[in-house]
Amino acid sequence: MEESHYLNCKSRAQNYNPPVDLRLLDYVSIYDNNLMCAICRCPFVDPVVLSECDHVFCRDCIRQSWNSNTSYTPLGPRGDCPTCRTPAKLGPRSATSKILVNLVDELVVHCPKRDDGCKAEVRRCEVQDHVNIYCGYTVIECTDDDCTLPVRRKDAAQGCLHFGVSCLSCHKELQKWKLEAHWRSECADRRVHCDMCKSSVFYRDLEAHRKEACPAMSVSCPGKALGCTSRSKRGHAELHAKSCTFAKLAPVLLKQQERLDEQEAAQKEMSRKLEVLEGGFQNMQGILYPPGVETSQRSADNSLTPSLQERLFGSGTAESTTPTGTAAGYDWTESAVDEDAVSPAETMHTAFSSATSPRQRAAPLPPGPRPADLPEPFSSDFDIASPTGFPPPATNGGPYASPLHHLLSMHESLRDEMTRVSSALSELDGRHSMQILNENLRTREEISYLAAQTAGLQRQVHWLTSSALQRQQGRSPTPGASSSGAGGAMMDAGAGAGVEAAVGAVSTAATALRGAARMVNVGGNGSGSGTGTGMRRGTSEEGRTKL
Amino acid sequence: MASTMASSANASSNKKSSAPSSSTNNANVIKRLQSELMTLMLSPTPGISAFPSDTDMTRWSATVLGPSSTPYENLTFKLSLAYPSNYPYAPPEVLFTTPVYHPNVDMAGRICLDILKPAGKGGEGAWSAVLNTGSVLLSIQSLLGEPNNSSPLNGEAALLWDRDQVEYKKKVLARHQEPAELEANGS
Repeated sequence: MEESHYLNCKSRAQNYNPPVDLRLLDYVSIYDNNLMCAICRCPFVDPVVLSECDHVFCRDCIRQSWNSNTSYTPLGPRGDCPTCRTPAKLGPRSATSKILVNLVDELVVHCPKRDDGCKAEVRRCEVQDHVNIYCGYTVIECTDDDCTLPVRRKDAAQGCLHFGVSCLSCHKELQKWKLEAHWRSECADRRVHCDMCKSSVFYRDLEAHRKEACPAMSVSCPGKALGCTSRSKRGHAELHAKSCTFAKLAPVLLKQQERLDEQEAAQKEMSRKLEVLEGGFQNMQGILYPPGVETSQRSADNSLTPSLQERLFGSGTAESTTPTGTAAGYDWTESAVDEDAVSPAETMHTAFSSATSPRQRAAPLPPGPRPADLPEPFSSDFDIASPTGFPPPATNGGPYASPLHHLLSMHESLRDEMTRVSSALSELDGRHSMQILNENLRTREEISYLAAQTAGLQRQVHWLTSSALQRQQGRSPTPGASSSGAGGAMMDAGAGAGVEAAVGAVSTAATALRGAARMVNVGGNGSGSGTGTGMRRGTSEEGRTKL
Repeated sequence: MASTMASSANASSNKKSSAPSSSTNNANVIKRLQSELMTLMLSPTPGISAFPSDTDMTRWSATVLGPSSTPYENLTFKLSLAYPSNYPYAPPEVLFTTPVYHPNVDMAGRICLDILKPAGKGGEGAWSAVLNTGSVLLSIQSLLGEPNNSSPLNGEAALLWDRDQVEYKKKVLARHQEPAELEANGS
């Protein structure tokens, strides 16, 4: 039947079936490497032998090799042998011996329509005929006279199949003649064989089957994360899991890991919160201690401790209220500096203390143990106050043992700040009063100087008036002077009146000064001393420089 | 002749579902590359390995170990190979992806090697259709140990090779990056 069909439609079938490319065929068995063309790496197709070196290639291969190298050769195809680079050409009798041709023709190949379903295995020399004549999967023209669409040869006897149908599984619309191919390789609901376990599954489920269900699939031990490296087929995985300690531990450890992760997340959140809080505190500190003040504050902290100690020492010595008390206090510090070396001061002290009454020696603590346990009575106070007990908040922003500690240290530092401010305030106060005192002194001297000058002036004026009066009294009895007496008297009287006025002015100035001095509250002293003005100026200058 | 072959190959490659997405490439090229891959897998050459990329059969990446008793000893070099559509009648394009200090390799990794140039053009090229991936990589490996200093791409390296082998080795090691660190840097 096929034969007759071939006779009917051979010419038309050629349109759909180009000549089989022998190089694309799959070979059933492994062929000898000597039958392989070095260029296309397939068994020779129409082998030729080169004239000079006897290397064999497919005719197409060697021609194309030479074509791509040399553009045009008038003397026919020639070139270098691709293998040995010997200049060679294809002569008229370049065909190889028949035995090689037979060897390659005898090789058995799969039908090129294998993917479509043809299971034929034919000799290579017959494959073209197989495709052209026998293969049921070769596409030919529809046997129906009105239809020119292609159809596979094995379906051609069923009449024209070019009508629309829909796939029963996936409901895809397609033509009847394509249905089989659709079922074979396209339909998502077709049955396929899992190549591992040979069971039949739907194509759409194949991936899931391979991943999860296939008993032949190799899976790793459940304890893989813990270090078990064994892999076994899914069917045997349970057997392995029973014997593997890793697999037994896995669920427990997994749960623990989960909890760990949970706690880690919680801790992360907490640390973030802490960070925010710390940032807040830092900001607060930044407001409390601007960066410039910080260092001075620290130094104040450091300086505070010895001063405090001193104060405590002072109270300690005041306690004793004896002259030896100070000596003892001196001795403590001395022995604190060097205990073992017998310093002259100590010997002096011992001599001194021995010279004093024994009651005094018993009253203060013995000098030896005192420096050691000296800080003890104040330790509770020191722990909070000293900057070493808690790190000062400004110097390192590290975490504190607890918020309470933090607050305590903050409180402490605030207290320090307070004392510092108060000491600064008292210092300022002292300086201010000193300044006022100096200023007062200077003013006082100025006033006294002025007062002295006024007094001098007063005296001068007094002298002048008295001399003028004397002259007047002396001249009035003498007649010799009467000639010009009237004029002179007139002049004198004028002068006397001027002098009187001047004296009055000076005295008012003096009273004014006195008033000023009283206002300064040292007026009484200033007016009293009228001598040594130069020296006074000197002291006033001194006062000014001191200021 | 060639055109008919090409068309027939294209027609059949459309039918063949085994061919990768590169439908423009000649099915014969794919076939030959598969054959080469098979050979490389079945009879591997020590110090040389090559494998096609996941998506494109005509783009391979290869690894070459530096030949022993040369400055390149114990160094691993990665290369990329791109096969033209008329392979094996035209040579593949081979590049070093690892930086290499070598007289015949430039900064971009291009290799000056006669068998990597198409034959017949000015007589310089020596590509032959019988050469394959394995033989090309072998040639590159031997080029590492025996540079062709008469036509250098990197003149400094050529001079240094003749003058001071110790300094040359230092330069090689300075330029070289192991594939792992190259990946770390590249990404």
